Amino acid sequence: MKSRYAVTVVAIAALLSACGVFRGDDQGSGGGPAAQAPGVTTEPCPSAVDRNKGCIYLGTISDLTSGPFAALAVPITDAQKAFWARVNKAGGIGGKYEVDVTRYVKDNKYNPEVHRQVYNEIKDQVLGLAQTLGSPTTAAIIGDLKANNVVSAPASWTSAWEFEDVIVETGSNYCVEAMNSVDYAVDTYQVKSVMAVHLAGDYGADAAAGAKAAAERSGLTFTHVETPTGATEQGRAITEITKNKPDLVILTTGPADAATIVGQSAAAGYKGRFIGTGPTWNPALLQSPAAPALKALYEQSAPGKPWDADTPGHKAMREALPGVTPNDGYTSGWAWAYPMKAALDAMVAGGNVSRSGLLAAVKTLKTVDYEGMLPAEAGNFADPSAVFRQTLINKVDDKATTGVTMVKDFFTGPTAQAYTFDGPCFSKL
Amino acid sequence: MTETRTSAGAPPDIPTGRSRRVRGRPLLYTSYAQDMALLDTPAKKVSTGLLVLVAFALAVLLQDRSLEVLAGAYVLAIGAIGLNIVTGYAGQVSLGHAFFVAIGAYTAAALSGPPDGENVGYGVAELWIWLPAAGLVAAAAGVLVAPLATRLRGLYLAVVTLGLVFLGEHIFKEWQELTGGPGVGREAAIPQLLGVRLDQDGPLGTKEQLLYTLMLTLLIVFAVAARNLARSRIGRAFAAIRDRDIAAAVIGVPLTRYKVLAFGVSSFYAGCAGGLLYTISGYVEPGSFNLLLSVQFIAMVLIGGVATVSGAIAGALFISLLQPVTRSLPALVPFISGDTTQTPNVFQVETVLYGLLIVLFLIFEPRGLFGLWIRVRNYWKSWPFSY
Repeated sequence: MKSRYAVTVVAIAALLSACGVFRGDDQGSGGGPAAQAPGVTTEPCPSAVDRNKGCIYLGTISDLTSGPFAALAVPITDAQKAFWARVNKAGGIGGKYEVDVTRYVKDNKYNPEVHRQVYNEIKDQVLGLAQTLGSPTTAAIIGDLKANNVVSAPASWTSAWEFEDVIVETGSNYCVEAMNSVDYAVDTYQVKSVMAVHLAGDYGADAAAGAKAAAERSGLTFTHVETPTGATEQGRAITEITKNKPDLVILTTGPADAATIVGQSAAAGYKGRFIGTGPTWNPALLQSPAAPALKALYEQSAPGKPWDADTPGHKAMREALPGVTPNDGYTSGWAWAYPMKAALDAMVAGGNVSRSGLLAAVKTLKTVDYEGMLPAEAGNFADPSAVFRQTLINKVDDKATTGVTMVKDFFTGPTAQAYTFDGPCFSKL
Repeated sequence: MTETRTSAGAPPDIPTGRSRRVRGRPLLYTSYAQDMALLDTPAKKVSTGLLVLVAFALAVLLQDRSLEVLAGAYVLAIGAIGLNIVTGYAGQVSLGHAFFVAIGAYTAAALSGPPDGENVGYGVAELWIWLPAAGLVAAAAGVLVAPLATRLRGLYLAVVTLGLVFLGEHIFKEWQELTGGPGVGREAAIPQLLGVRLDQDGPLGTKEQLLYTLMLTLLIVFAVAARNLARSRIGRAFAAIRDRDIAAAVIGVPLTRYKVLAFGVSSFYAGCAGGLLYTISGYVEPGSFNLLLSVQFIAMVLIGGVATVSGAIAGALFISLLQPVTRSLPALVPFISGDTTQTPNVFQVETVLYGLLIVLFLIFEPRGLFGLWIRVRNYWKSWPFSY
């Protein structure tokens, strides 16, 4: 009996010291005395290519298990791991540091509350965030990001990021995307009425606001319906569509929600067009019962070209991810990493390796080399009023590797061209 | 009451007032006051004192991350004590605890939120205002619901309180000015005490140290209050109702009054816990107040020990510490991954363990952690002749 207690006590003591429970052993930053700034060490990364280089830790907060974007978020995260592995293999950042994005990977379940919790867990251990997925989720930590100069690459395209210095966004925002989609539909299908079906918060409301601006400019009737996530929760949205019969529906939901809405509206006799924003598509939808309806009625607007596009960036991505099932989550994740790499390069070149140094470096970027995935001017962070306004339109094609092929290359519609961004779009819905 | 009457001193053979304790005989009581004392043996006095000292000392010994987890555990303990009052002491099974926690959380958040923010806010960040307010609003909701409890019993009551959770979930998801709506959420209550923000690092300590000390102090206050309630006339009435409500009514316990009281007090605790719980992470989303939260509170009470305050605290600590302990597994057990994209990962292990532990506890130790403690204590009491 006595020995059993002894074993328990020893086990608990071992466990406590193993997780570093006691104060003082490596309080604050991730690397003890070798640490220079939060998330920067002179020690090599855990899986370093060159053990003479230091390590920059970047955190990842993504929707990895049960949220609506899990099917996209896992590829995004994998693509970014491959991206940074390629950067490290090519000599790292300025020949002095390598980048680790594998040690601090957290799941947000697409819930702002969880997002804030896991962010609190890792924030003292990372220099910046390689990925913070979701608009409303990132909105839950934006105050802290700004207060502590934590430069972050978002995995979302809300227009609010145009006004945040610490967010290094890539590609056009949902607001612009929806404006361009409506303008495209006016030209192509001569639509007279638009309905925006959207999730709550910065993601859905942002696109809906863009659709509203474009509809007002072209004199279309505009309505919008807010819908929760979950394939079983879309009843109200479907009823609104089939009852009001708009010519065009702009979708900003998760992929499963979008498939339910398109499939069941079509089954109820709806014959109008759907254009969904980038995150509404997932190639797995081609195996869903909604596939015929999606092929007939749905197009996807996107801030970047799909998986098998012919650019050096796309080619590098395909080579870095051999054997994966192609998915444009990989494409987006890869593209999102370029501005962070450019900022890190500029920071190390400038010599101030710290959070404030990284933020200062971001503010010097006039262009970012996206290796052809996006025009270089999409990475203008030096001019706060610069908003990238080009998107493209894809259609469903079951022969294409990610289920979509491009029908209209990068374009700027007249609404987006004339629009002045003076605040996040979603506040104007 | 008994004490006061004896101290008035009528019968000569009953010892009056606080008489001296007999040395070396901890279980020999020579007055009612000794028998009814909060800490009735010297051993309890010493060990409780030590425990409180150690708990406060942890604020300067542990890492911030551990303090944050413990602070959360203490708040959950306040909520669990609340559930124990209505379910453990008064025997009224309630699955609606999450609803009252939500009311507290949103009352506190609305009172302390900035008036010009996106959500409802009145700018009253002082903790000593919004904390009682959160408790009182939740208690008012509890009192409103309580008449149901006076007409229903057992399983029927459980199902009705379950309905509360769903009602609440709907209201909080739709009331976007207050809660921000599902998937969006809002900033939680701001803990500010006499002008000092407790959720920011300051001269008194880091954010985590301040919050830890605050939560520990409040837990002690709430726990002592609950213990006192349980050993008062009200507590005895609760126990009588739990054991047999008809018999209680026959001996003169007003059922309605005490059931309403039990729900009111329990909801007050839940409301305070709700107000405090989300100040730690600083953000609250309406989807959190679902059935799972209610079940978690029930699990804390069951695992800890029904109708004991220390059990509720132990249960809350156990459930809250389960997560960080499993999170550290990848360092010790190499085949379990800390990366959510691989299988098996700690998150899967955590889910499995959680269910498994509840099952094992109910089968092997229905009295919960408190029962385990009783066993250990009895073993050492009779040592070296224990078998």
